[in-house]
Amino acid sequence: MPDLIGIILWPLKWLVELVLVSWHWLFTAMGLPAAAGITWVLAIVGLVLVVRSALIPLFVKQIKSQRKMMEIAPELRKVQEKYKGKKDQLSREAMSRETMGLYKKHGTNPASSCLPLLVQMPIFFALFSVLNDVTRHAQAGIGGVGLLTPELTQEFYNAKLFGVASLHDTLIGAWEAQAPGWQVTVAILLVLVVLMIVSQFFTQLQIISKNLSPEAKTGQAYQMQKIMLYVLPLAFIFSGVFFPLGVVIYWFTSNVWTMVQQFVVIRNLPTPGSEAAKMREERLARKGKAIDSSGKIIPMEKYQAEQQRLFEEAERAKAAAPKRQQPVGKQRAKKQAQKQPGDGGPKPSGNADPAPGAAGAAS
Amino acid sequence: MSTSTLPIASVGNGRFEPASATRSIPLLPRNTVLSLLHGYRATISHAYGDVCKYYPSCSAYAVGAVQQHGALKGSVMAAARIGRCHPWAKGGVDDVPLHTDFRYELTPRGFVVPVSLRKD
Repeated sequence: MPDLIGIILWPLKWLVELVLVSWHWLFTAMGLPAAAGITWVLAIVGLVLVVRSALIPLFVKQIKSQRKMMEIAPELRKVQEKYKGKKDQLSREAMSRETMGLYKKHGTNPASSCLPLLVQMPIFFALFSVLNDVTRHAQAGIGGVGLLTPELTQEFYNAKLFGVASLHDTLIGAWEAQAPGWQVTVAILLVLVVLMIVSQFFTQLQIISKNLSPEAKTGQAYQMQKIMLYVLPLAFIFSGVFFPLGVVIYWFTSNVWTMVQQFVVIRNLPTPGSEAAKMREERLARKGKAIDSSGKIIPMEKYQAEQQRLFEEAERAKAAAPKRQQPVGKQRAKKQAQKQPGDGGPKPSGNADPAPGAAGAAS
Repeated sequence: MSTSTLPIASVGNGRFEPASATRSIPLLPRNTVLSLLHGYRATISHAYGDVCKYYPSCSAYAVGAVQQHGALKGSVMAAARIGRCHPWAKGGVDDVPLHTDFRYELTPRGFVVPVSLRKD
């Protein structure tokens, strides 16, 4: 049974090692000393860049489908109105079914889907074990599963950032061993942990305070997100104390990436209806620009012209819409139909029809 | 209340009776898997929020599939469903195909028990 996990992780670990060793090779070729701590740290940063870039298409996909939600919002509201105040399980289930049916009908779905979540777990585990196993492998004199040879593992193990902080040191280990220069290791780890917590908190706060639509702020998921805002930083304290510096650097870089990505998204692709979307509209208005119905940026004059045109169109449609017909009794309707043969059906051309109902329907 | 609640089809009024203990031995594998699934749904599933593109959600589908078709076939069906729940999927309503000859009862918590022998 334990081998099953090993078999699943093997190809993932192999890939992680490939990326890591490639970056190390690249930085060495650029003139950095192969055994230096900074070279290996940069290789870890490179690993983050590759992993996170690979996830961008998924991210963009999700944002796009969120924008499409705008189009189906009226229909969604109709479903919500229909089940308003009905808390019994049958109604809830029926509402979920109808909502899902609506998403499918319009080919849009705000959910991110389950597969990536489950796939990410072994990937992160592989990443973690590659970086974490360096200590064990180096002491046993062996390498990783692929390109991280015994020699490279040894080099990684011996690499020291700023000449003192080993990448395999943990906060608690450095504290206990008190090897020369341990204060620097502890200081680096502490600074990284604090920065991680701050960036995580800031990222989450940005999402919650600016990038949620009013509907999203009413759900149970919102309460959960608010709790996570304070719980997640605790996970970083744990990792900062027990994980080696190499892993903490990976995690920290990944966190910074998330923060920047979130910042760019909130600024340029905010969730429709959220605080951030309003701020973007104001920013654009100050520059004399606006967003049209399809999400493109256009000059303000053009936008106002389009709004005017849409307004006039709506007015015209209203004026042209057939007026309500007086209900007519069965007998009378029959008589009228006899008086005007062929009314409503296909008529021979060139025959002007005086019936008001037909005129309204034709325009 | 969200999509994470089990659909009506996955819960029942069945109760475990000591008298039918021997008859419930064949149900042990699926109930073991079901308890794992319930544990997952109560913790991890909750923390992630609603991410599934389907109704019922992938984990609720797994519960239904294991209830109806047993630990082995049910797990395979659940894995296939997770495979369908990718970013390019349209999503929608996707119920578990019910077993044509389901001879057990479901408890309110979603476990499978033998049909009661008592007449009530």
